Amino acid sequence: MELDKFSYDNKIVKAFIIATVIFGLVGMLVGLTIALQLVWPVFNFEFQYTTFGRIRPLHTNAVIFAFVGNAMFAGVYYSMQRLLKTRMFSDTLSWIHFWGWQLIILSAAITLPLGITTSKEYAELEWPIDIAITLIWVVFGWNMIGTILNRREKHMYVAIWFYIATFVTVAVLHLVNSFEMPVSLFKSYSWYAGVQDALVQWWYGHNAVAFFLTTPYLGMMYYFLPKAANRPVYSYRLSIIHFWSLIFIYIWAGPHHLLYSTLPDWAQSLGTVFSIMLIAPSWGGMLNGLMTLRGAWDRVREDVVLKFMVVAVTAYGMATLEGPLLSLKNVNAIAHFTDWIVAHVHIGGLGWNGFLIFGMLYWLVPRMWNTKIWSNKLANFHFWIGTLGIIFYALPMYISGVTQSLMWKEFNPEGFLVYKNFLETTVQILPMHMLRAFGGFLYLTGAIVMTYNLVKTAYAGSFIANEATEAAPLVKTESSGGGWHHWLESKPVLFSALALVAILIGGIVEMVPTFLIKSNVPTISSVKPYTPLELHGRDIYIREGCVSCHSQLVRPFRSEVERYDPLGGEYSKSGEYVYDHPFLWGSKRTGPDLHRLGGKYSDSWHYNHMLAPDAVSSGTIMPAYPWLFEQVIDKTTTAKKIKALRTIGVPYEEDYESRANDDLDMQARRMAENLQLEGIEVEPDAEIIALIAYLQRLGKDIKASRSAENNLTTGNQ
Amino acid sequence: MKTIISLLTLFLFGSPVLAQDAAPAGFWSDPLNDPLLPFYLVIAFVFVVALLVVIVAIYMLQVLNVFIRKAEEEKAVQAGKVYVPEPGAWTKFWNWINGYRPIEKESEILLDHNYDGIKELDNHLPPWWTWLFYGTIAWGAVYLVVYHITDSLPLMDEEYQHEVSIAQEQKAKLLASQPALAIDENNLVYEQDDQIIKNGRQVYVVNCASCHMPDGQGNIGPNLTDDYWLHGGSVTDIYKVIKNGVQEKGMIPWGPVLSPQQIRDVTFYIKSIKGSNPPNPKAPQGELYKEEVVPSTSEGASM
Repeated sequence: MELDKFSYDNKIVKAFIIATVIFGLVGMLVGLTIALQLVWPVFNFEFQYTTFGRIRPLHTNAVIFAFVGNAMFAGVYYSMQRLLKTRMFSDTLSWIHFWGWQLIILSAAITLPLGITTSKEYAELEWPIDIAITLIWVVFGWNMIGTILNRREKHMYVAIWFYIATFVTVAVLHLVNSFEMPVSLFKSYSWYAGVQDALVQWWYGHNAVAFFLTTPYLGMMYYFLPKAANRPVYSYRLSIIHFWSLIFIYIWAGPHHLLYSTLPDWAQSLGTVFSIMLIAPSWGGMLNGLMTLRGAWDRVREDVVLKFMVVAVTAYGMATLEGPLLSLKNVNAIAHFTDWIVAHVHIGGLGWNGFLIFGMLYWLVPRMWNTKIWSNKLANFHFWIGTLGIIFYALPMYISGVTQSLMWKEFNPEGFLVYKNFLETTVQILPMHMLRAFGGFLYLTGAIVMTYNLVKTAYAGSFIANEATEAAPLVKTESSGGGWHHWLESKPVLFSALALVAILIGGIVEMVPTFLIKSNVPTISSVKPYTPLELHGRDIYIREGCVSCHSQLVRPFRSEVERYDPLGGEYSKSGEYVYDHPFLWGSKRTGPDLHRLGGKYSDSWHYNHMLAPDAVSSGTIMPAYPWLFEQVIDKTTTAKKIKALRTIGVPYEEDYESRANDDLDMQARRMAENLQLEGIEVEPDAEIIALIAYLQRLGKDIKASRSAENNLTTGNQ
Repeated sequence: MKTIISLLTLFLFGSPVLAQDAAPAGFWSDPLNDPLLPFYLVIAFVFVVALLVVIVAIYMLQVLNVFIRKAEEEKAVQAGKVYVPEPGAWTKFWNWINGYRPIEKESEILLDHNYDGIKELDNHLPPWWTWLFYGTIAWGAVYLVVYHITDSLPLMDEEYQHEVSIAQEQKAKLLASQPALAIDENNLVYEQDDQIIKNGRQVYVVNCASCHMPDGQGNIGPNLTDDYWLHGGSVTDIYKVIKNGVQEKGMIPWGPVLSPQQIRDVTFYIKSIKGSNPPNPKAPQGELYKEEVVPSTSEGASM
């Protein structure tokens, strides 16, 4: 048979590799900065664009979508061409994909520090960027499916299955979670409210981990690990079983982020159960990776690429065991909202994604530049300092998480909290935060050393932009046997459709009832929409990223009710959130919960606290927000905001938008006058007024319903 | 230094428990004259000997093994076969639980897949992995049944109510056993007790200094060191304000947060700093209060 002559496109892979390295360094540097801020807030340089709340999402977006994302595309573009024996479907699409993705990253890097955010974790980017992501993702998918259809290899290798699942699922997740109502070019409100928004968000958030950080990387592991080890993959059967069970089960596990929240119990239980069932499918990937090295373990000692990969796969196994254990209610009760979770995600991020990327780069760059690695010594140094970095990162965070959680929960024999002031528990863990920052510093150092080594390697070699190769064209033949799955591997469209069905089931079962059945979100009649001033305050709260450090969810534990609602004695109820577009429950308590903050302190306390937190709470790590005292509320947007919210179901009266600013002015003036009585001179249209109005509203409605009840009972007597 | 010590203890115990103060006088205070010294020595001796015996026994077994292997090898050579040593117990267990096939027989299960040089074996699933998978599925089914069908285990609201009722019982028991703790505003008489004032200062620094400043000079809240009071300056008045708060002025009701004893302590502390003239005082608020000898008793029980 005549062999087709063609070439693999290495230039696009090179571009993605360069982007990976650059954004990796940037993302880690921002990470180190915010780690330092959690000990010494002055590392925000007292500049609003670099405060914790604004650049924490910058860190997460940079490392997830820019570093891990670009590396994923590099790995996919390199391996897919070779596994399918064809060049990418279209070079034009490849480059649109590349530049489009970098533009999205650039726009994220600009908008997030400006405070333009939806506040939904890992989906912070505003709606125009969401649309751009959708378009670029379609380009990626189009290019990928085109390549698959053009293949010269009849059957698709397991790596391709994982790439298909990645493309399909991320598309679904992004579309559903990004439903939002635009107010202006840079502002929108989530279509969903309260508990429903929380469910959609964590279905998305959890599966972003699953299908952006896991499945593509499993696919890459299946290519680069056997390549580097020069060993056959351990078990084809295991690949099949763990692939399908993984994608089917993963999608159900989102509610484990919402245990002990106001999500209905049945949905929480599904989250727990499916998380536990996820252990084996996840470990299937780890086993297939590690067992592929059977008979090659002696080489792991010498080959730095394999070293990185072994640690990566092991970290994957550890994180995917820890995750399900964290989904057990009793473990979650301790770990949630603490640094434990931060440790957990960094085992996955630094260990699994980071080390797999490093291993891949050390393997790819010498091959693409037709040379050897410039310095094995430096690569080994990188391996050890990186490993040390992970240890120095994770261990202190575990200790700090458990310590703080136990302090939050500790009662004295008289039945009072031992550490009444949240700040006592923060101060206690600061030494651990210092160690964590040191761990991050080590890891970043390793990445810098790698960059130097790779650049030197590239200069020592000569780049092969188009790698010439040849392969037999694909001829239509009848199935050559090998079982039904082997047959399915030659049917990419059917395969994709089945993968789509597998990932839709879990989401549908959990979401549809939560949306349609009324009893899942019991309403509270005294809960009313926010006033225009409070609404602006809430948007400022979102802009400043307060949700990064403050939860708004009092869980049904005695210790939390005692701490956050000692007078009312009530944990958070789903009916309290029905007008919260988006929900602001948060996922980490670096500071105290704020759900019942309203009325706890005076306006002047908040005023002083926001101006100089350390003067009010000595030793706090909360940064100051002086710009809120100078910037004025943008009243031109009030009407649009009210209209947008009414469209998505908040019952503002018809035509209220025309009067909204009058109400706003009245409330603001009243507050300014009250502050004046306390000796504070402030303009009523300063942003701080709106923020205080919002903070003072928190938890007020349920308190109102309680006092109404009390009046009713006293009236009856 | 303190940070380093707390850091080390954290590493060792993982909780904020600091090293205990002086250990009780026991064996280590004077080991040579302890009556139990011979007993401990004998135990230590027996332990060391037992350990040595075990080590020697393992070593002997290994030597024996080498001889057996040598003999086997010779036999094999005489029979003209290649000697393959019998795998150890751990290896056997490891191979069994993973379902490993001997690596030499790998070619039998090598599939004819070849993707850019990557080949695939058709090893069966590791048995322990399969059991783990079945086990978690069964566990999941049981979990759903006991929580949602038979209702045998409490869901979160029930769990919470249970937690609260246990706490209330314990508190009631404690109060019953220690009637002296029943402090309230009606039986309060100020006394210049250094210990109480010291405790009060601790409570004050953590909870009150945020608004009233560390020295009581006032900032967000009023000055506590002058002679002017918004809600009365007697110990009873101060105690009541701390306990019930003044919501409209932003004073937090501390009754549910601080124990009656702590409220008393901090009340006495506040009383004790009167006239201390700290720097940067807040201007006086409220009315001039003069110490009265007769305590006010007309207040009804509040809350």
